[in-house]
Amino acid sequence: MSWWTQMALLLIGAALVQNILLTRFIALCSFFGISNSMKTSVGMSLAVIFVMVMASSATWVFYYWVLKPLGVGEFLYIPAFILVIAALVQFVEMYLRKYSPALYRAMGIYLPLITTNCAVLAAATESVKPGFFKMNMPYDFTFPQAVVYTLGVALGYGFALLSFTAMRERLDIAPVPRSLKGAPMSFIAAGLLSLGYIGLGSLFGL
Amino acid sequence: MDLGLVLKSVVALSGIGLLAALMLSTASRRFHVDVDERVEGVLSALPGANCGACGNPSCFSAAEAIVSGTQPVTACVAGGQDVAAAVAGLLGEAAPDLEVVVSVRHCGGGSNATRRFAYSGLDSCVAVSRLAGGDLTCPRGCFGYGDCVRACPFDAMTLDARGLPVIDLDKCTGCRVCVAECPRGSTGLLELVPENGAVVVRCSSHDRPKDRKAYCTMCCIACKKCEKVCPSDAIHVLDLQAVVDYSKCIACGQCVAVCPQKCIDITGRQALAKADTIDGCAGDVAGFAPLEIRAPEAIEDPVT
Repeated sequence: MSWWTQMALLLIGAALVQNILLTRFIALCSFFGISNSMKTSVGMSLAVIFVMVMASSATWVFYYWVLKPLGVGEFLYIPAFILVIAALVQFVEMYLRKYSPALYRAMGIYLPLITTNCAVLAAATESVKPGFFKMNMPYDFTFPQAVVYTLGVALGYGFALLSFTAMRERLDIAPVPRSLKGAPMSFIAAGLLSLGYIGLGSLFGL
Repeated sequence: MDLGLVLKSVVALSGIGLLAALMLSTASRRFHVDVDERVEGVLSALPGANCGACGNPSCFSAAEAIVSGTQPVTACVAGGQDVAAAVAGLLGEAAPDLEVVVSVRHCGGGSNATRRFAYSGLDSCVAVSRLAGGDLTCPRGCFGYGDCVRACPFDAMTLDARGLPVIDLDKCTGCRVCVAECPRGSTGLLELVPENGAVVVRCSSHDRPKDRKAYCTMCCIACKKCEKVCPSDAIHVLDLQAVVDYSKCIACGQCVAVCPQKCIDITGRQALAKADTIDGCAGDVAGFAPLEIRAPEAIEDPVT
């Protein structure tokens, strides 16, 4: 497998086959919380893509250059990653506010929220301990692999969120039976959407 | 126990923490954004409730929008005349004139209305409205689970014994938050009216009057008695529902007295100062006397 094929597979695998929302059910809080309007979903997706890639690049560096040489990586990675991600997001927020007010306004209010989003921590953890790709991929990601993998996860998050938001906006005006209107119908729709994603994973026995 | 490992963990985590602290403190100075001092001034003049009625997520961004000129000095809906004048003064503009509005509830149901089933779920109107359209038989009435009461940023609403939200007009700023929060706000259960509007119809149903009487004792039955008695042509039964035109109402109180269902009620800041009741829902007001808010000749010679 050439390097490029491997990267492409990693990206698609992370985005679609092992979709973080609908196959692995991580970060469902934000999935149901903000998917009632397209505007917030777009802002959130952009912010997640941005923060996730930055966060897991930083945590990869910290893991392999600081924690692993010290021999504490195996048990200390979660608190260390939380610290790194929180500081990084704060820093990025300040930077954007100064140099890119337009971008800051577009995703300003989502940045602090994402600090504590479980999907970001999950992607950062997975990029140093890639459990789901153990069988098909080398156990340890290199730096480019970690970045591509996280980008895939973030794109998958955005794709699933936006498609679900579009469904919910349609559902609001659809002739849904009265007893199912609102939250019950959203859960059913999410379940059906999730079936599709899980089916994609087991299609070729991946 | 391996003390070296503990030491290494402590060093690693505090090292990362220190690095982050250094980076952030440098960044906060390096990337400091100079805030226009007029923004601070305008911000202190705004109510600071972050209610969002102006369309901005917070009072701070509202202040920024007002100073940069993207929104007018009257942008603060909740602050009304006083805040608009203060903001205009800070920016060196002439004080504008505002029509002040307050929120009213078009429902007298509560314990007077029937329920289709016994609901025992989340104590929230939005939750109950999503469960088979809600427990209330009336399709337009107030559920009475108090979403508006909890949402009100100015603490102006309380649930009374009938299970209906009562609006304290001294505190209501007309910020529209309750209307947006109410699952039936869009069908006219809560509405913003001029602060001196004197009467309010406590019903918003458009069902057949016969059906309405079956599920609520306080409903409007579209009998048109108020329409006939009104000297200033201000109240009309439109689509089986009495509706007040506040630009014509002269606050004579005759519709309140004549309503057989007692579903027209007194409201408005001036009117309530005269009548000794707040949101009595008419049925509770015994021997109601016509209001004398405007000069008597105004009643005899109605506005045309």
